[in-house]
Amino acid sequence: MIGHLTRTLLSGITVAAMLGVAAVSTQAATLHMAWSQDATGLDPHKQTAFSSLRLLELIYEPLVRVDASLRIIPAIATSWEFSKDGKELTFKLDPKAKFQDGTAVTSADVKASFERILDEKTGAAARANFLSIASIDTPDPAAVVFHLSQPDVPILTAMSDVNAAIVPASEIKAGSVGTKAVGSGPFKLDKWDPNAKEVLSANKDWAGGATGVDGIEISVLPDEAAILAAMRTKQIDFALLNDPLVATLVPKEAGLQLNRVPVLAYNVLQLNPSRKPMTELKVRQAISCAIDRQEVLDTAALGEGKVTGPLTIPALATDPSQLFCYKRDLDKAKKLMAEAGLADGFSATVIGATGEPPTAAAEAQVIQSQLAEIGVKLDIKMMELNVYVDAWLKGDFDMAIALNGGRADPYTMYNRYWTKTGNLQKVANYIDDTLDSLMQKGRAETDPAKRKAIFAEFEKHLAEVSPWIWLYTSYSYTAQQKTVAGFVPTPTGTLFSLSKVTIQQ
Amino acid sequence: MNYLMRRLATFPLVLLGVSILVFVAIRMVPGDSITAMLGTEAGLLTPAQRDSLAAYFGIDQPWFVQYWRWIGGILHGNFGISVTYGRPVLDVILERFPLTLELALLSMIIALAVGMPAGIYAATHSEKPSDLGVRVVAMVGQSTPSFVLGLLIIYTLSAGFGVLPAMGEFAPLWQDPLRNLSQLILPAITLGFAFAASVTRIARSAMLDVLSDDYVRTARSKGASARSVIWRHALPNALIPVVTLSGIEFGYLLGGAVIVEQIYALPGLGRMVLDAILQRDYALVQGSVLFIAFNFMIVNLLVDLAYVGLDPRIRLGEQ
Amino acid sequence: MRILRAIFGHGSGRIGGIIVGLYLMLAILGLLGLTPHNPITQYRIDRLHAPNGAYWMGTDLFGRDVASRLMAGIGQSFTVAFFSVAFATLAGTVLGLAAAWLGRRWDGVVMRIMDVLLAFPAILLALLIVTVAGPGTWTSVIAIGIVYTPIFTRVVRGPALSLKAREFVDAARTFGSSSFYIVTRHLLLNLVAPLTVQVTLALAWALLTEAGLSFLGLGTQPPAASLGLMLSDSRNLMETAPWLMIFPGLTIMISILGFNLLGDALRDILDPKMRRAPA
Repeated sequence: MIGHLTRTLLSGITVAAMLGVAAVSTQAATLHMAWSQDATGLDPHKQTAFSSLRLLELIYEPLVRVDASLRIIPAIATSWEFSKDGKELTFKLDPKAKFQDGTAVTSADVKASFERILDEKTGAAARANFLSIASIDTPDPAAVVFHLSQPDVPILTAMSDVNAAIVPASEIKAGSVGTKAVGSGPFKLDKWDPNAKEVLSANKDWAGGATGVDGIEISVLPDEAAILAAMRTKQIDFALLNDPLVATLVPKEAGLQLNRVPVLAYNVLQLNPSRKPMTELKVRQAISCAIDRQEVLDTAALGEGKVTGPLTIPALATDPSQLFCYKRDLDKAKKLMAEAGLADGFSATVIGATGEPPTAAAEAQVIQSQLAEIGVKLDIKMMELNVYVDAWLKGDFDMAIALNGGRADPYTMYNRYWTKTGNLQKVANYIDDTLDSLMQKGRAETDPAKRKAIFAEFEKHLAEVSPWIWLYTSYSYTAQQKTVAGFVPTPTGTLFSLSKVTIQQ
Repeated sequence: MNYLMRRLATFPLVLLGVSILVFVAIRMVPGDSITAMLGTEAGLLTPAQRDSLAAYFGIDQPWFVQYWRWIGGILHGNFGISVTYGRPVLDVILERFPLTLELALLSMIIALAVGMPAGIYAATHSEKPSDLGVRVVAMVGQSTPSFVLGLLIIYTLSAGFGVLPAMGEFAPLWQDPLRNLSQLILPAITLGFAFAASVTRIARSAMLDVLSDDYVRTARSKGASARSVIWRHALPNALIPVVTLSGIEFGYLLGGAVIVEQIYALPGLGRMVLDAILQRDYALVQGSVLFIAFNFMIVNLLVDLAYVGLDPRIRLGEQ
Repeated sequence: MRILRAIFGHGSGRIGGIIVGLYLMLAILGLLGLTPHNPITQYRIDRLHAPNGAYWMGTDLFGRDVASRLMAGIGQSFTVAFFSVAFATLAGTVLGLAAAWLGRRWDGVVMRIMDVLLAFPAILLALLIVTVAGPGTWTSVIAIGIVYTPIFTRVVRGPALSLKAREFVDAARTFGSSSFYIVTRHLLLNLVAPLTVQVTLALAWALLTEAGLSFLGLGTQPPAASLGLMLSDSRNLMETAPWLMIFPGLTIMISILGFNLLGDALRDILDPKMRRAPA
């Protein structure tokens, strides 16, 4: 199926160009995939960028995984168990698990991997989630015991992240993790040309069984409109999309299908409670009451998403309408402003990152116009992503439009901000005893029903003291040809189910 | 020859200036390799972790030590290692350069092949409707941002005709010339459109100038045919501003065409530099900026030398 | 006055003059806020409406009136274009004259610095300036101004050098005129023609450069409108709401057409004998 379009160029030239070598996937067994942002590196313990995680999840495996409803399921470990006091966590490893160099995955590899994460010299950001590990025992090659310094239920969820992937002890010793990708996952990385393409081939020895395709070729097409164009001409079978403006065009194409699922990440307006007048509870609450979250979502993201409170995990989230001021109440907002002595409003600057998320500038503009109604004059400053991250990490802003990552466990997701010892307290700039003690209780509690009650209280309190204004969760989008079958989108955004995807002729 | 040597002698000085400017510039922009890799997760790092990553990225030393190390390396032909590609900077640049060079050449060929005849035609039909037509098209070309044209082309071809050159995997010229050309022709047209428009305008006005010159009038009064006046007398002189313009434009294109490379997903120099800036890959930014500046200077020098070829009256070295 | 009459006597000058005049009027109306609707008011129930009686050019993603935003955008884009070109012209003229007049060592220093700026990728330069100074109208002005300064410096220096060697400068010197007087009086006056032409061309470029900066998120900050920002915001809405791309696109095209026609006319009027762009 090669379409030729011969075109004579403008007068004077005789160069007849052969256009449109629309190479359709001739080998149905290779999945042609596209995304607009490429992975930034191969070290599973160090990479945190969205694309890097999505790539590495196909190559490396953690001990456990989470499924589409965020339940913990086996990966390298077939079973796991907490001791009664919650201070000992034992894993049994899958005897079939093999690294791509042919060696078996043993408890020694698990121990070496976690020791690497905990070693400060590695520079693994995920280390913060594993600080309760006091020691690791390897009673036999197929069993690992983690001894914890305190009960830590969320650690299991943290271990499901590819940032806690198991890498071969031999590679750690050789110092080649990050330059060579040797995992135990469904695909092997044959070639990586950064910012251009990745070539993956099926790992025949994968413990999870045979994969549905022989390989995956990932192309980096920086412009999402171009990705859509390439899908129209059937060059691309499967693609990751970010921009709702582009994603909503996909269903209009006959041969294409859009998969969408609400993600754990949340779009939020972060106030900086260390700066006046956001130091005042009433001012923060007034802002919360003045913002119409649904309208922000409808305008900035074409309604593509769901209004959310602080908790985005479906099993734990409270119905947002129960939370403080989730229905816009201008009168209340004005009254709160007056009580804070700011009936005339005030001026502040809101920062946002250009294109990250693609809706950032639009969200800022809707919020600006809504807050103007209670006299708050917002000045919008859009910045290059890294410049933004720098200002954000220093807490150098009045307000910030942010898209913050979510986790399958609320403690892992929020301890960095809303505990007294949180690493990002200097960004959040707000803490009270209620938040801190609820987080500590939630960390130690093993009973799911009790945990749910604890975090519901946490969420209600957080929405009421309003250090941030949670807005909505957007969708994670994947677009595919209708001939691609078996992809299961999940709230974590993982593409792991590509391992079972097939292409029909 | 003397002139050539003098010009070449200024190269190291200018390159030194560029090297300092790029070195300082990229470090003054907030954010570093660590925040580029980790984003907001960088906030979870302990000071010891931060130090160890800084050492890994080679940004742990004071800036003058870093600069000295970098310049010292260059003198030995070592431009450093790119942290995103994990390979020597020069290798990465040289791998991307052929595409950029080819794209620049193709755009220039299109621009000259369309622009020169159009400009000459307009000049010889001055102030007639056809002249106005050519000028309006040229101005439309000059005023269309390349992202608009690029997106329109891609949309029209894919939605209207169901065709599109293969995106994503780029074929080098020597591997698959046909596929290579099919991938580059649209970007080249996108770039060449505005370029051709400039050439048309400059060629037209230069021709008009020359045609009103005394010696052309003399030739005419001596009974030379219109054709011979244009080809023998006017054209060579009108070429000078066209060469200047194309040279400068070509020099810019050798620095890569970021927006067109983004839209057509071409792995060229422009995207590489932009990505390197966004990912704070200092060694790669520095190396490629030096490389681009060097090319730009070479092209400029060639343009100046071309004057002599075209117009012996110009004495080089005076200016 | 004389020059205005000359422009209107010139075929393409008349068209160019009318276009530029019209835009200036729209720009002033836009800057004064005399637009059909408030350009930043969000009529959210009317989001993404196609052109109709109430909104002549439709509404955008936020339900803002595109026609009003275009007027404000012309004001903003022209402000950036005029001031950045003024900056580049002023800096370029001063540097070019200084280099030509002081000669030798100064000439070398100035021109080498200009070479560095010229050879330096403009995007990185703009990114640096914008991130250090923070994005905004005046930052864009300075960023675009600095990028164009070397070009003006070259445009001025070349002719200034050859003028300096002419007889009338020598004559002025022997009559005891001060350097400052000679430079401003004789050199500058003779540079007006090439500079005017360069300015009209640069205005057109500056409009496009502003669009490019906005495309990369470094230009005008929302909710203010600029032609470039409106155009780049419309890119992913091209299929859903084509009017968001068509109107700003046409506006940019016609304004550049106006500048170019005007530039061509000025070139004819000011210096019918001017030939060959200097190196």
